[in-house]
Amino acid sequence: MNRTLKIDGLEVSLKKENKRVVILREINLSIGKNESFALAGESGSGKSMTAMSIMQLLPKNISATKGEICLLGKNVLSMNEKELQNIRGTDVGMIFQEPSSYLNPLFTVGAQIEEAIKDKTISKRDRVMEILEEVELKNSVYYQYPHQLSGGMQQRIMIAISLVNSPALLIADEPTTALDVTTAYGIIELIKKMMATHGLSVMFITHDISLAASFVKRIGIMYAGRLIEISDAQNILSKPLHPYTEKLVGCLPERYTPGDKIKTIEGTVPNFHNLPTGCPFHPRCIYKKNICTIKEPTETIIEGTVVRCFRYENSYKNS
Amino acid sequence: MKTFLRRLKQANRISYISLWILGFLYLLAILADSIAPYPYELQNREYSLAPPTKIHILKDKKLHRPFVYGIKVVNPAFKEYSQDISKVYPIKFFTKGPKRKILGFFTSQRYLFKAEGGQLFLFGTDLHGRDIFSRILYGSRVSLSIGIIGVSISFVLGLLIGGISGYFGGKTDAILMRVVEIIMMFPFFYLMLALRAAFPPNLSSIQVYFLIVIILSLIGWASLARIIRGMVLSIKEEEYILAAKSLGISNIRIITRHILPNTLSYTITALTLSIPGYILGESALSLLGLGIQEPHASWGNMLSVTIGNLRILTGAPWMLIPGFFIFITVISFNFLGDGIRNAMDPKNW
Repeated sequence: MNRTLKIDGLEVSLKKENKRVVILREINLSIGKNESFALAGESGSGKSMTAMSIMQLLPKNISATKGEICLLGKNVLSMNEKELQNIRGTDVGMIFQEPSSYLNPLFTVGAQIEEAIKDKTISKRDRVMEILEEVELKNSVYYQYPHQLSGGMQQRIMIAISLVNSPALLIADEPTTALDVTTAYGIIELIKKMMATHGLSVMFITHDISLAASFVKRIGIMYAGRLIEISDAQNILSKPLHPYTEKLVGCLPERYTPGDKIKTIEGTVPNFHNLPTGCPFHPRCIYKKNICTIKEPTETIIEGTVVRCFRYENSYKNS
Repeated sequence: MKTFLRRLKQANRISYISLWILGFLYLLAILADSIAPYPYELQNREYSLAPPTKIHILKDKKLHRPFVYGIKVVNPAFKEYSQDISKVYPIKFFTKGPKRKILGFFTSQRYLFKAEGGQLFLFGTDLHGRDIFSRILYGSRVSLSIGIIGVSISFVLGLLIGGISGYFGGKTDAILMRVVEIIMMFPFFYLMLALRAAFPPNLSSIQVYFLIVIILSLIGWASLARIIRGMVLSIKEEEYILAAKSLGISNIRIITRHILPNTLSYTITALTLSIPGYILGESALSLLGLGIQEPHASWGNMLSVTIGNLRILTGAPWMLIPGFFIFITVISFNFLGDGIRNAMDPKNW
């Protein structure tokens, strides 16, 4: 299969003195050409960490310890720094949460987009004008500094910078979180347009499931560094399989009827340094059985949905 | 630039004036050979240690174009001079004199001003009868440029080494910072003397000039590198650095393009404030006879004759004028540095 991105059994761990703390465990996912995929989950569930492992921009004491990440058929984890610099920006682009702090305040927008261009044969200025037009900005922003632009415009600049080399994959790490709803909608529309015109694949990281479901094909739900469920966007909302997903979807404000108590999930996300044994979700799970506290569940595939829960394994039904 | 000058003016009037004083001094240095009425090495043996020549505009109680009287040697042994009223030499502008080269390119006979036929020593003469005013002009080329060149070398070194050290961290950082500490460990002045002593004393003035520049900048980069390292440590955690990395921009480019420019507000101030150190360093070396050698002029070596010679100090105080120029330059740079710091501080806008 010709996948843009394929992550296989990825394990990422933090080395602290002599201890090793596993942050991401057995992440399996793949994104095809022109496909959109969303990673959703609470803060600290490992969404951004997954994105950073693809870019290999993890902090110094954190590294991938197992598995492989194949980007366009090449394993990112076995690359050296030089090769990584060659794929960053060219094969994979990234946009971030706070566009204002991800732009260098000292340089004009034009200079920053130009700097990202790797192709030395083309006229940089023309390419910048072209990409500015694509992200629906006026040519005059070329001479402007980041602080002169609004948040939405800054995010468009970020998109322009990350797509200027026409990468195959765009990782969008909560690109709309810092923006108001209408601006966010504009950004989503822009990403959709870019997907349609460039055959771009998108990995969308968010904690807003309903926003993700509105435009991506598949959604992966993360909890405590595990991908606990991967399913079609609509399935996640209509028939969630994992008890956590079920709870999460139940808490969506869209499902709130006035007068009711606001629903939450009991308990808190466990700390990485102090994970419960077995399934990390079991202390908050209402379907908990003995086996959940002993073993970690493996992947089960039910009608195209990948889920990690004992409820769908035979051992659970028998116990 | 225009707004910066306005801010500088608002922030601190003295520093604004200092900027103009420095601009004027550097202009004099550049135009030294077209302004100076004498070549720096020309000796008027009969007029050694002559006091500054008085310029008159009244003759027989009537207004006259500026002129000087001739110099009469009263007692050559005690260097006593008086004015010879019988001889009147008018000061003429753009007058002709001996040929000399200007800026190393073209020869000219025209002098900006000269007392035609007579002698005009604006600041008097030294032991060998050389015109101090002309020598100050020529000397300013050495003394003023050494600061700028020295500072630029040490800043390139300091920024790069500090940048690399802070950005890469770990072993690179540890090694570079130990080197910095070793350099900073020695007292500046003695390290400078020791380094100078390591080279042969009989070098030509140009060689000595570059030697001094290199010695001063090899000492000067260390403290800057340490501060830059600290700033880089915090700037490299900024999100736009992560964004630059995610675009596959090379490390050295991230350091030079994204991190170091963000230290500029500090760097420019530090740069201005450290120039006086270089000027004083050169003066000190020349004063001790280790710097620029006679007959070439620098403000430091012009002063060197006066130290330990009380007769000159009391009898010919005009020999101290180069010291006054050092003082003006150093204090102007300090005021300017202060002003720039204020002008760059957004709190003062």
